[in-house]
Amino acid sequence: MEMTTSARLGFHPVKQPSGTMQGSLTPLSVLGPQADDERQRIRQQFDAGVSARDTVRALCDLADKNIQRVFGEVVRVHDASCAGFCLLALGGYGRKLLFPYSDLDILFLFGSEKAEQEFRPLISDFSRTLWDLGFRVSSAGRTIEECKRIEEDNAEFHLALLDRRFLAGDAELFEKLDARVLPGSEKQARPFLLAELHKLTKERLSRYGNTIFHLEPNVKEAPGGLRDFQAAVWLRQIAGENKEIVNSSSLEDELAAGAVEFLSAIRCFLHYSNARNDNTLTYELQAAAAERSLGVVDGVRRSAAEWMRLYFRHARALNRQLLRYLEQRSTTPQTLRQRFFNAARGTKFEPSNGKPFAVREGLFEVLDQQAMSDRAVTFALFTEAARAGIPLSRRAERGIGYIMKHPELPVRNAEVTWPVLREILGADYPGFALRPMQRLGLLTEILPEFSRIDSLVVRDFYHRYTVDEHSLRTIEHLQELADPPDERGTHFQPLWKTVERRDLLILSLLLHDIGKGMAVENHVTGSLSALESAADRLKLSTEERNEVRFLIGHHLDMSETMQRRDIFDPSTVSAFASTVVNQERLQRLCLLTYADIHAVNPEALTPWKAEMLWQLFVATSNHFSRTLDTDRLHVSEEFSLLEQVRKQTASATVKEIERFLEGFPRRYLAVHSPVEIAAHFALHQKLRSEPVQVDLQSTRHAFSLTILTADRPRLFATIAGVLAGWGMNIIKADAFANAAGIVLDTFHFADLHRTLELNPSEIARFRRSLVDVVTGTTPLEPLLKGRESASRARPLKVAVETRTSFDDTSSAHSTLLEVVAQDRPGLLYDMGSILARLGCNIEVALIDTEGHKAIDVFYLTEQGRKLRAEKQEALREALQGTLA
Amino acid sequence: MMKLEAIIQPSRFESVKDALREAGIEGMTVTEVRGHGRQKGHTEVYRGREYTVDLLPKIKLEMVLPDKLVNTVVDTILKTAKTGKIGDGKIFLSRVEEAIRIRNEERGENAL
Repeated sequence: MEMTTSARLGFHPVKQPSGTMQGSLTPLSVLGPQADDERQRIRQQFDAGVSARDTVRALCDLADKNIQRVFGEVVRVHDASCAGFCLLALGGYGRKLLFPYSDLDILFLFGSEKAEQEFRPLISDFSRTLWDLGFRVSSAGRTIEECKRIEEDNAEFHLALLDRRFLAGDAELFEKLDARVLPGSEKQARPFLLAELHKLTKERLSRYGNTIFHLEPNVKEAPGGLRDFQAAVWLRQIAGENKEIVNSSSLEDELAAGAVEFLSAIRCFLHYSNARNDNTLTYELQAAAAERSLGVVDGVRRSAAEWMRLYFRHARALNRQLLRYLEQRSTTPQTLRQRFFNAARGTKFEPSNGKPFAVREGLFEVLDQQAMSDRAVTFALFTEAARAGIPLSRRAERGIGYIMKHPELPVRNAEVTWPVLREILGADYPGFALRPMQRLGLLTEILPEFSRIDSLVVRDFYHRYTVDEHSLRTIEHLQELADPPDERGTHFQPLWKTVERRDLLILSLLLHDIGKGMAVENHVTGSLSALESAADRLKLSTEERNEVRFLIGHHLDMSETMQRRDIFDPSTVSAFASTVVNQERLQRLCLLTYADIHAVNPEALTPWKAEMLWQLFVATSNHFSRTLDTDRLHVSEEFSLLEQVRKQTASATVKEIERFLEGFPRRYLAVHSPVEIAAHFALHQKLRSEPVQVDLQSTRHAFSLTILTADRPRLFATIAGVLAGWGMNIIKADAFANAAGIVLDTFHFADLHRTLELNPSEIARFRRSLVDVVTGTTPLEPLLKGRESASRARPLKVAVETRTSFDDTSSAHSTLLEVVAQDRPGLLYDMGSILARLGCNIEVALIDTEGHKAIDVFYLTEQGRKLRAEKQEALREALQGTLA
Repeated sequence: MMKLEAIIQPSRFESVKDALREAGIEGMTVTEVRGHGRQKGHTEVYRGREYTVDLLPKIKLEMVLPDKLVNTVVDTILKTAKTGKIGDGKIFLSRVEEAIRIRNEERGENAL
């Protein structure tokens, strides 16, 4: 077959605008306007309320009709027979879903290579004519032999081929491909297609942050978009199931059908509004769509924000369906990293130990569905998920959801208390529980305030996600710090690992933006009022409430300070520190700020911002540890504190309280509540009868020991020695003294051998032992001897280099000594002994640990003065020699 | 036309931006940068580890201006970015040959 130049020109309206295809019955000048008129009519009908389904079908029919017509004309003009050549519609067009500005995916199928050579010139004319008629053609050509082979680098083509539909040409050739060639090769390629579909889908979902909750979502590609539906259909097809989900009868499929119709209407609307294949639902178009109640079936007019909630509901239906299919039809259920991670935790297959749930292949599964009607059991499952960082399977989630949706199944223990919730919030991976809790509606059952921000779109230039999604993401960004995915998290990892009252931090994050869903001028005010109602219901203690109140009320402070103030200016740091008050709170606020910026959008926390935040944290933290003894309490200025403490104590006079508090470092107030201070004062009152007062409290994971006594040589070292002798590991300690020389030491320690926990009678002996050694009634050495051999035998897991540094400038009265060393039982005793031996008096001590690292700061004096240079050198040598 | 590049303290950025807006300047490119001039940085110690902050955080503003606005903008930045301390930053000016608006191919100052 040969084609003449004039024949080619005949298809080109630009060069021959009013011409005809040579020998053609229908001139382009007629076909073009006909197609345009038909498009216009379809659009008008859509605008008049015709469904999206009918609209995309009409567009498809229009394209089919024109393709068949042009193909017939081209074949005729070229005087060819179409034997051995046909056209197929693929992808969305193959499924008869053609959106106004979508491409037409067409496959030119040849019976042989010879046919391919023969028909190539015809194809070029065909394609060009379609373009001239306003159809965007995206075409590929294959011989029937090529279709048999799997192109490993082009899985998209094979997936699109699953939706093949005959358009024009040699029908027998199509029949051969459809009925004889592809069924066999597709069956053979099933594992490949499944794996590739998984990979492509996960990559796509990950590009959009694995969330449907985008403020300006892409209704085709984003999670919850039409592509999710298509991927679910493909998963069914590959598995050999019916692909017509839309006509299926199950509830989930009905929801999906409704969602497809809703999203298709949006996509048509976007294409018409943008006059191009742009699927981004921008703020402007959200408002326009809400104005015309696009896709709304109940006839209720909604604001743009309310209409977007409809969108998210539909998107959620499609996304959930896809995720369930992905999990069920997973060839490789986890990434290599996940598998290693889970294998390391031994979670591949754990026995249930009589519990109604267990870990199976790295996911929590429910073994006894009925048991889930007991909320206590359900929350025990969430708590374990949050502790271990293991997600619930979709099946487990659906099982819980089933019970929740069936009121005829009575729920037991429906009331969830703060102690239950705080176990989840305080765990290492709270997001693993909070996500499914939110999806199931359990989160709003406990925190109804959270429903105010459910799927809430708040328009600004920076946020990418809805408010609820942003809030949950903040928590997930924190739990990622266990193993930071990139350099931005490196600095903050130790802060996350060591932060105290993580539960309060996570509760603050859940509530910090609730105000955005309230009619208030400043969202922080709204969030604070949400806290009050939540705190009343959950029965938070005053201290807990105050802490969360602070974090919510000041959640923008650190971000604003680092961006609007000179963080290298000491006065900035000092002002910021005076707002934050103490180190523990600083750590929580810093993590909150890190998470809050990070969850705005994936790029919001630039390495630059992360560094600024870190610098402000370090400067403030150092400010706290270096200004301890310059900032002493003068009680006469602390009327409100005195009143609060006095209220807690029955018979004491203000004067007595004043005498006790005068001269303590301000940090003492920052780390102890008025109730605790009153308890310390009560101990102080008993000093006359018993010169060493000991208070021992058991906390959630450790013990807290308070000792109050008159200062004496080697006191700090002696107490540390007793703790070491009993095999206790000191995690944290403070040593303060007031103006009258009364020392208040607080030690938080872990009972490594569970001596006190398993033998309650030992508690009294432990207390006695402390008093006796401190008062000198009993020597310390025999107690320590028993422990030496045991501690020597323990191998070191991580080696920490010993570093000592002195600072003479931060304090007006003392020399600061900072020691970083390998933590081990007895370390503090060794250090304290060296300090005492060299005649150093500890004015203030801050003892902390971070994994295997001990970080201790001492404010030292020698005969009331700073340490001389020679003394510092001697101390350094002694410490290096003993600790290294 | 002149291209203006200003390196300023991050803490002064909001004020500079507001002042420029008041002066009628709407368009600018803003970049988070790190660097140092005579303000050499410092070393911070936190929990026994040294962090050398030798490249300090700064904000870089870039804008191309019609000649008649250059002095106003320079004055505005000087007034609002100056704290008098070392590290306040610098302003660089350079001549621009041509500007073209991509959307409609307008050229010269009309494209700004």
